Amino acid sequence: MLPNPLALIAEVTHRCPLHCVYCSNPLEMTAAKLELPTEAWLRVFNEAAQMKLLHLHLTGGEPLARADLKELIAGAHAAGLYTNLITSGIGLTEPRLAALIEAGLDHIQLSFQDSREDAANWIAGTRAHAHKLELAGIIRKHKVAFTINLVVHRQNLDHLDEMIALIEVLSPDRMEIAHAQYYGWALENRAALMPTREQLENSVKVVDEARERLQGRIRIDSVTPDYYARYPKACMGGWGRRLMLIDPAGKALPCHAAGVIPGLQFDNVRERSLEWIWQESPAFQQFRGESWMQEPCRSCDRRMEDFGGCRCQAFLLAGDAAATDPVCSLSPTHHLVETTLLQMNTERLPVSKPISVAQPQTASWLYRINPA
Amino acid sequence: MAFPTDSAQPRLAPGCRWGNSGEDDKVLLFPEGALRLQGTGQKIVELCDGQRTFLEIVGALQTHYNASDATQIRQDIASFLEQLQRKRIVDY
Repeated sequence: MLPNPLALIAEVTHRCPLHCVYCSNPLEMTAAKLELPTEAWLRVFNEAAQMKLLHLHLTGGEPLARADLKELIAGAHAAGLYTNLITSGIGLTEPRLAALIEAGLDHIQLSFQDSREDAANWIAGTRAHAHKLELAGIIRKHKVAFTINLVVHRQNLDHLDEMIALIEVLSPDRMEIAHAQYYGWALENRAALMPTREQLENSVKVVDEARERLQGRIRIDSVTPDYYARYPKACMGGWGRRLMLIDPAGKALPCHAAGVIPGLQFDNVRERSLEWIWQESPAFQQFRGESWMQEPCRSCDRRMEDFGGCRCQAFLLAGDAAATDPVCSLSPTHHLVETTLLQMNTERLPVSKPISVAQPQTASWLYRINPA
Repeated sequence: MAFPTDSAQPRLAPGCRWGNSGEDDKVLLFPEGALRLQGTGQKIVELCDGQRTFLEIVGALQTHYNASDATQIRQDIASFLEQLQRKRIVDY
């Protein structure tokens, strides 16, 4: 029998005051007027709790852009879910934070773009850094689990130690140091985000040292860039195995990026129960098990460890969602990744200079837009 | 960080709490994870209320299990709590 998922990722809106150049949202975002109403989300959370899911990750876009966020958290908490808010902090004041915690918020993840204000604002395409600094101090005074997220890439890796030092001062319980993953807006901006091999190797050292030094004070979790790995990541713990994601309009997807794969029909929680979708939705069944696998995955010893890697990446890079993830060194299309990495490591791509946010036309980035 | 001292008062860290489930098979929820605890492990964490000292927790478990090897049970509880502390699930 198919086990139920462990966690639900609720993208409650695609609206966001930030325009981060590595945003994982799809290039085509959901308009505000198509977002699920409060009651629909509350029904989904209740169904999730009945299916014994444990965690609810409220993300976006910026979840704080929803005026009903407190009701959503209260409903999820009452249903028995562990609630996690993934946020830029823009739109969060101390009274609103207190109200969210009162409603049952268990964990807050605040993102930082950099330790240097100009660089942070440049990546986010807006002035957000100073507010985040102030907010971190406020969060720390409240009884809630506190994680600081930091996305690292070519433009900020050279001062990773400085960024960790800043986060240390803000004293969260956890820090997540994640290399950018190349989907959505990050794939559009890949040439300016992909680290060099030297940067990557140095970052592993810096993170290991920090983990050792901060042991027992701040837990560090890190995500490495799969382009440089020998084998692919077990994306989402396997397709339709552990997680389900609901987009702002109510479409149920196996992951953030699955919408890029042509031919998949995603069922909507407006029309179907969560349980039906998990068990029956063709999109969730598409890449379960191993019958869809091609060689070399089909006969590979690792096939139930990494499940052939990421289906979305296979489509985005190799044009075939059922292919072995091209980041795998055994993949017949691995040369696509090697060519990209060769460019990234030989051409002297300059580390760009932050520009004034007031003059975005001079940036080389494609900034994510905000849906209507 | 190190093992808890005798007077330390272990407690669940912010954002770590029990989930809603059965009595003898409880789930401890924390950021990005969950632990299913039974038996001694469950008992130890239940005693981490921020009031009892480490010494009192050891005493309670020695009585409960009628343990003959006091040093061993003390060592086991200390290293269990230290593991949870590293994961930022328990503070002391």
